[in-house]
Amino acid sequence: MEELINTLKLQIIDALNLEGMTPDEIGNDDPLFGEGLGLDSIDALELIVILDKNYGIKLASPAEGKTVFKSVATIADYVSKHRTK
Amino acid sequence: MGDTIGITGLGIICAIGNNTGEVLGSLLAKRSGIGPMKYLPSLHTEIPVGEIKLSTEEMKAMLGVDEPLASRTALMGAIAVREALSNAGIRDISGKRVALVSGTTVGVMDVTEEQFEKLGGADPGIPHGNECGKSTLDTARYAGIGGVPCCTISTACSSALNTIMVGADMLLRDEADIVIAGGTEGLSKFHLNGFNTLMILDRERCRPFDDTRAGLNLGEGAAYVVLEKNVSGALAYVNGYSNHCDAFHQTATSPDGDGAFLAMTGALRQAGLRPEDIQYINAHGTGTPDNDASEGNAFHRVFGDRLPEMSSTKSYTGHTTSASGSIEAVICVLAMRNGFTPASLGWSHPIPGGVIPTPGHTGVHLENVMCNAFGFGGNDSSMIFGQHPHPLESGNTYGIREVARTRVDTDEALSGLLEFYTPMEARRMCKLMKASLLSAFRAMREAGIPCPDAIISATPKGMLETSNLFLADIVANKEQLLKPTLFMMCTHNTISSAIAIRTKCHGYNCTYSQGEDSTFWAMRDARRLIASGEASSVLVCSFDENCREDGRTADFYAESVILLRDE
Repeated sequence: MEELINTLKLQIIDALNLEGMTPDEIGNDDPLFGEGLGLDSIDALELIVILDKNYGIKLASPAEGKTVFKSVATIADYVSKHRTK
Repeated sequence: MGDTIGITGLGIICAIGNNTGEVLGSLLAKRSGIGPMKYLPSLHTEIPVGEIKLSTEEMKAMLGVDEPLASRTALMGAIAVREALSNAGIRDISGKRVALVSGTTVGVMDVTEEQFEKLGGADPGIPHGNECGKSTLDTARYAGIGGVPCCTISTACSSALNTIMVGADMLLRDEADIVIAGGTEGLSKFHLNGFNTLMILDRERCRPFDDTRAGLNLGEGAAYVVLEKNVSGALAYVNGYSNHCDAFHQTATSPDGDGAFLAMTGALRQAGLRPEDIQYINAHGTGTPDNDASEGNAFHRVFGDRLPEMSSTKSYTGHTTSASGSIEAVICVLAMRNGFTPASLGWSHPIPGGVIPTPGHTGVHLENVMCNAFGFGGNDSSMIFGQHPHPLESGNTYGIREVARTRVDTDEALSGLLEFYTPMEARRMCKLMKASLLSAFRAMREAGIPCPDAIISATPKGMLETSNLFLADIVANKEQLLKPTLFMMCTHNTISSAIAIRTKCHGYNCTYSQGEDSTFWAMRDARRLIASGEASSVLVCSFDENCREDGRTADFYAESVILLRDE
């Protein structure tokens, strides 16, 4: 799980243009949206692309991603249960 | 006092007809033009679209155009311009001052993307063909009026409605005798894939204002109106209009529809009307969960519980993006002339507490009609057409002075943006966006104006770098899993709306894209706003990239000017 979490963080840093950030700076349970990292609705769409491209997971809408995208830990949990690649 | 603006001719081509007669027939028969993709060479054949039922070659033959790289956008534009002039009974324009004001965003993108793919995306200069201004010049040429002054407005999906405002104002200021105003937008893989990354394309026919709505269907088309001053017996009159910015988000609408509310109330005020004087509203009504909820809330704020008959004709035409404002303006005039309200198709489940669109009625008298068009970046406009003329003012009361001018055109200067934006906020911005925002915020600081009354931008080629990257993404990834971050920065009005979002400027917001003349048109509009008293401070931001070949000295530049009322 630790390896998946680290990979996810690197993928998030790359896709969301979080230039200069390192995986250590994103806490596993830090909220990604709102008060936490401060991501927005476009970032949510980028996260959907990350899941589809790398793990074969298809989310139908950003609304469906709301609970999945709470933190890196919740994404990792969802990916480990639903990945098809 | 004041002059009146009459609509003396209509021209339209879209998914439900190649001319006004065919469009009227489809509206009355409640026949949608949305269906399977036939002409757009996209891999996304599962996505329904509202295409014009003519191939590019058929349109060329209709117009007698023999150019291998003619764009659908310019061809359909020319067909509609030609019909509008003929409908107005104008056969000869010699001796008259005629201008074409046209709205488009993707411009000649259908040709650009074909060339881009052929050359493997190797040449970064290719998206030059995306120049909106070129597509307007081509439209004029194909329509047989080449050489008339052309002005292109690119405020995304409100572009074409804004052209009617600018056209009306040109007549009021005696800058032209006849203005042909409207918009044209051909479908492109570029914006189909772009909207797809935003996950707002319904795989079924769209259902505006329905509780089960799941997005929009893209359409294509063109429509133009002929505008003339102080005429009697016009088809309808332009009696009020207003342009405001939602200043909320680049691609989402504010929950309460602040921009929409300001635009509708502004149009009513100019027309001297109360909400209950409106008999029909042609809503923006895209069918996305966001737009319809927000526009519905704005309707509640303006009309209370007495909403006039309202429908979204995007259920017939699809969302024709930059052309939608004039396509729906023409539909409004057809409804007024023929005494009917167009039905909203696809509606069956009310949104709890939401607005309910009309099933359509015939035999009604429509004295005043409202037309809404909202664009990415929150560029929201509303217009009122009347059976009877209402005089409009074009004040020239106030003097103007320039108080600040700042230019950014080097890579080294861009780090200065961190004075105004955090790294987190700046992380997605392309070079041109950084340069433009930096020049704008420095100019505002120099002038001591934290939030101007109005924001206008001017750009020949728009967001070239991000458009180029998105085109490359389309080719490399075969239209699958593309980056929404790139597409959200591709519209020409990205900069003017980003400044509005940051400064919370809900005032007038417009973007011009007419080659070397872009800044001329932007400054003209800025001076008008101040001279008439509509604004006491205006920011004008001009920018372009890949411009060394134009005889300029930089790869990119952004220059911002603040104009103030001279007290």
